[in-house]
Amino acid sequence: MIPSPAPSRRPTWAAFVREPFSRQAWREFLYGVAALPVAVAGFVFTAVSLVASAILTVIVVGLPLFALSSFGVRWLGAVNRSLARRLLGLRVAPPPRLLLEPGLVGLVRSGVGDRPSWRARGYLIVKLPIAIVEFVVAYLLRLGAVWFVLAPLQWAANLGTERVDDHGMVRHYVLNFGSFYFDTWSKTFILVGLGVVAWWIAPWALRMPLYLDRQLLADLLGPTSLASRVSQLERSRAEVIDDADAQLQRIERDLHDGAQAELVGLAMKLGLAKEKLAATGSAGDDQDLARARQLVDDAHRSAKLAITELRDLVRGIHPPALDEGIEVALATLSARSSVPVDVTVTLAASPSPAIETTIYFCAAELLTNVAKHAKASVVHMELVQSGDLLRLGVADDGVGGAHLAGGGLSGLADRLDVVDGQLEVLSPLGGPSVVTVTIPLQP
Amino acid sequence: MRVVIAEDSAVVRAGLIEILLDRGHVVPAAVGDGDALIEAVAQHHPDVAIIDVRMPPTHTAEGLRAAVALRRTHPHLPLLVFSQHIETRHVEELLAGPDSGGVAGVGYLLKDRVADVEEFLDALDRVVAGGTALDPEVIAQVLGASRRSRQLETLTGREREVLAQMAEGRSNTAIAEALVISERAVEKHVSNIFSKLNLPPSQIDHRRVLAVLQYLSG
Repeated sequence: MIPSPAPSRRPTWAAFVREPFSRQAWREFLYGVAALPVAVAGFVFTAVSLVASAILTVIVVGLPLFALSSFGVRWLGAVNRSLARRLLGLRVAPPPRLLLEPGLVGLVRSGVGDRPSWRARGYLIVKLPIAIVEFVVAYLLRLGAVWFVLAPLQWAANLGTERVDDHGMVRHYVLNFGSFYFDTWSKTFILVGLGVVAWWIAPWALRMPLYLDRQLLADLLGPTSLASRVSQLERSRAEVIDDADAQLQRIERDLHDGAQAELVGLAMKLGLAKEKLAATGSAGDDQDLARARQLVDDAHRSAKLAITELRDLVRGIHPPALDEGIEVALATLSARSSVPVDVTVTLAASPSPAIETTIYFCAAELLTNVAKHAKASVVHMELVQSGDLLRLGVADDGVGGAHLAGGGLSGLADRLDVVDGQLEVLSPLGGPSVVTVTIPLQP
Repeated sequence: MRVVIAEDSAVVRAGLIEILLDRGHVVPAAVGDGDALIEAVAQHHPDVAIIDVRMPPTHTAEGLRAAVALRRTHPHLPLLVFSQHIETRHVEELLAGPDSGGVAGVGYLLKDRVADVEEFLDALDRVVAGGTALDPEVIAQVLGASRRSRQLETLTGREREVLAQMAEGRSNTAIAEALVISERAVEKHVSNIFSKLNLPPSQIDHRRVLAVLQYLSG
């Protein structure tokens, strides 16, 4: 069968006639009506907060107040976005969250300097005239159309106006354009025609201010293209990290269930064969038998060596201790340490496997460093969650002098970079040393 | 003797069965996960159970949990636990059984050890006889991580060798054989070690191992 071409979306007369009654037209009409009160509220809030803050800056409170108004304009921006999403089907992603820095100075700096808030203010100011135009076109044009179409009825019901015109004539009419009076039954049908035209023009006319509104919404209330690119990259990187970790775990499991098990089975068979060969009476000078014994012996040794090597490899890929959670893994690590370690873990929920792996390797490296260089007698290790951050602290009472430039610690810093983690080293000569690793829970 | 096996890898399971049958033992059940093991033990009343630590469904420490459960419900059943890698914590959990006397033997070995047929069967016999069999790797880890390195330095080389063997769960006779010295010499070394390290002397293997391990990790 020959695939039929997709029907072209050429506007037909039928579509044009139906347009004022389409779902889209009604939604746009609703938007045009509803946008006005929202726009007035947005304009008033923005203007008042700007002016009030400017005045109150004299008595200092102006700037913090203005910083706080950033939340208000962002919220109003969200209301506008939600209105546009529900009625116009326009999806605009919210800008990145506003993160206030601690302290009054931090509040002012982050609140006043918040670019998405400034862009929202711009939108809220410009929106007012646009909303007025939208309202007039959406509401008044249709209201007028209805009124025009009903003109003959008004005439018939004798609802018209009566007035003496400039020439002293008594006019009984429904509407006048200057000195043209719709004052006869038949003339009112011109109004019907005009009303019908207005009704069909209304949805198209509304789309002009709406077009402008859509552009401004997307440009001013969404994330900047750079910000959205950054958040997109952050998301995809988090996925890559989790994927990589899941893949390593899969490899580890495959090795365990496959190659490792097969090797153990092989080594067992060789071990048994070795015994059987040894038990075979050493009858005479059978050189082949001696050679076979030697071969099986070698093969047995190789198989055992391969098992050991594979185990070490697997431990480097994905530490099996992690399967039972980070707390257990850290306890196992500290049990292996030659310097006594006391471990405290305070977590509300378990972090993602990738984060757990990073924490584990950091802890392992830090404990190795302590054992190698610090000459410490005790280590305190602590893993706590505070807000969105995980903090691993390793403190020892050793000789100090550790620094980031060293091989081990700089390697750690590289590993941490991948998950946006940070490494802080406090290790004066003579000790004690405190190394703190901070990792965001959501990479 | 009658041996129940819990091991999820078909290859290793087949190998174990082959070795055991070869030595004239009976394997009434060989299962692939912890729940099935507990059922098999209840049904067959074996003389010993051989258990792999990592089994389905979680593939973490299923076998160990089953072993700890069996320790409670069947305190007289000797257990030999295998693992692909050594976790000192697992040893503690296994040895931290009921304190009352008459606790059955227990072993914790790296999976590799089954490849050395003699060594594996020796460990199995020790466990069935009520003794302890710990992997040399466990001992190496515990010794390496021991906070008592200063006291350990007072031991002679031979005494350290004896200590390691002791910690693995070997009897004086076995130590004498392994180090090719007389049993009298071993006894002398052991009493020296106990007095140097201030350990309470004990003749029962299991207690002796526990004392040594507790001392080393204390």
